[in-house]
Amino acid sequence: MKLEGTTTLPAPVETVWKTINDPEALRRCTPGLTELTATGPDAYAATLTIGIAAVKGTYKGTLTITDKRAPTHCKILLEGTGGAGFMKGEGVLDLEPEGTGTLVKWAGDMQVGGLIAGVGQRMLGGVGKMLVGQFFKCLEQQLGSGA
Amino acid sequence: MPTREITLRINGTTYAGRAEPRKTLADFIREDCGLTGTHLGCEHGVCGACTILMDGDAVRSCLMFAVQAEGAELMTVEGLADGDRLHPIQQAYWEHHALQCGFCTPGFLMTTLAFLRDTPRPTEREIREGLSGNLCRCTGYQNIVRAVAAAADVLAAAPDAGVRRAPALPDGCVPPTSAGAAKTRAAGRARTPAPKGRTAKTKPSARPKPKRPAGRRRRA
Amino acid sequence: MKPAAFEYHAPDTVEEAVALLDAHGDQAKVLAGGQSLVPLMNMRLARPAVIVDINRIQTLNYLAEDGGTLALGALCRQRAAERSALVARHCPLLGDALALVGHAQIRNRGTVVGSLAHADPAAELCAVLATLGGTVTAVGPQGTRSIPADELFVSYLTTSLDPRELLTEARFPALPRGTGWAWKEIARRHGDFALAGVGVGLALRGGRIAEARIGLTGVGATPVRAARAERSLVGAVPSDALWEAAAEAVRAEVEPDGDIHASAEYRRHIAGVLTRRALAEALTRAREAA
Repeated sequence: MKLEGTTTLPAPVETVWKTINDPEALRRCTPGLTELTATGPDAYAATLTIGIAAVKGTYKGTLTITDKRAPTHCKILLEGTGGAGFMKGEGVLDLEPEGTGTLVKWAGDMQVGGLIAGVGQRMLGGVGKMLVGQFFKCLEQQLGSGA
Repeated sequence: MPTREITLRINGTTYAGRAEPRKTLADFIREDCGLTGTHLGCEHGVCGACTILMDGDAVRSCLMFAVQAEGAELMTVEGLADGDRLHPIQQAYWEHHALQCGFCTPGFLMTTLAFLRDTPRPTEREIREGLSGNLCRCTGYQNIVRAVAAAADVLAAAPDAGVRRAPALPDGCVPPTSAGAAKTRAAGRARTPAPKGRTAKTKPSARPKPKRPAGRRRRA
Repeated sequence: MKPAAFEYHAPDTVEEAVALLDAHGDQAKVLAGGQSLVPLMNMRLARPAVIVDINRIQTLNYLAEDGGTLALGALCRQRAAERSALVARHCPLLGDALALVGHAQIRNRGTVVGSLAHADPAAELCAVLATLGGTVTAVGPQGTRSIPADELFVSYLTTSLDPRELLTEARFPALPRGTGWAWKEIARRHGDFALAGVGVGLALRGGRIAEARIGLTGVGATPVRAARAERSLVGAVPSDALWEAAAEAVRAEVEPDGDIHASAEYRRHIAGVLTRRALAEALTRAREAA
């Protein structure tokens, strides 16, 4: 399923770029991320506990940042498997200066499979968008506090 | 998870057993009470194969825990027929070929019983809506709808034609089976053999068989 | 498809239930009808460590008219409300919507309050509460509070309730005399979650619209009140053209998601169609009631 959107962050492009590539920021802002361990350059082992209200699942997998064209373009790949199914998300980020801040254009392709997808189809797109929203909101807070 | 004593009243008989609170009512009925007429189709509340009556209302027994049914009067498909005599609803399903593999049938029968009690003269549309909580993979539903309409006529003409009707809230209790007076049956372990009651699938040989369509029998 | 193990409690009073929720916090889930929770547990998509079964708390099993409001206790089954003469007389919008909630077997156990607590984005009852401007009563360790619909529903399956709170009651304002109403939804099969649904309340005065309420389900993460469309109707003379304009206003206001069941465009389109039909039906009823 394809999702896309834009968001504005209160920091110049270089700062946003640095934050997105910073594992600490990723650890703090990726919703549900409980574990992020570097396994190589721009590659991490990740554990995500993600869900809505009572419906939660734990997924173990990897997070990789690829296709880097500093400081304006990269791709974040997140995939994991767990009891409730599997998920694979691929997000392309493009950064542009906008005033004193940065306009982030993001386009994602999310695949969810297994039980959670079979049963939760109705809400996956909406929930996916919401989680992406949480990610950027957190980044915004990080940048706003002058991280 | 610790087990606990669970006592249920089903078809006028008291059953006792031990199970964890997480054991669903459907599983307890089947495994601890030996009443395997109630079927498990989806176990998430969509297909209706597990439908039983609780205090006269059709409920999905896969979505209840056995502990929750204590104190209620339950009725399963085994409570429909009286010995060899099919309930008019079963008879109508039989006559209208409203079952093929029969897996969904117990759930449909129980839903029909409660439905016709509440809507004794339903239109076809009402029948389709009333049965919408039960899924059938074999029949395509046409014959089920016909059977329910036919059963409605029979029950309307002779309200006591049903040997047993669904108990009205909250008293009313299914009289004991002809196999004996109501007795407490200690539930055995999971492998209790099924009791001698009849399910919808049983065909008493005394009944005239429906006519086979004319034509040559195909050899395998 | 069997649930994971849990600690099971079946308190007899609201106080006991709240004490249990207070002790276990977000490890506990309340079990009332179970028609939404138990499927999730059977599939192990939800694995609450503690279940607080409130079905023994008989003081919560009521449906009463209370000075222009219908009060439904947490154990009021959907089926009881569906068949209630009080609902038919004072709040027929609720009755009409209830008939489309799931199937009879679900409504026999499912509760009205439980559906509100579950906050499914395509649920009928959440939209009805929002349309009528109803409230719920929540009891927690810190006391009791009343939560209006527009503060209750936060997101998909998410309410503003604290895990230590128990919803004890839902309050639906009765439709004033002479108000027309309608509930319209589209679902692929009877009993399915609505692809979109609209509840409308319409009051006339002197041939013009005095008050309009339009609430939608299935077009967002929570029920949506089409406030702009509502405002555009007040003071206007009812007509087909007016309904069409309201439908367009609704289409502009909603941001539905698309999924395998229906695209966002389709949902947006039928939100308008259903609004138009519901307004027309509500008008007929308002005129009949006059």
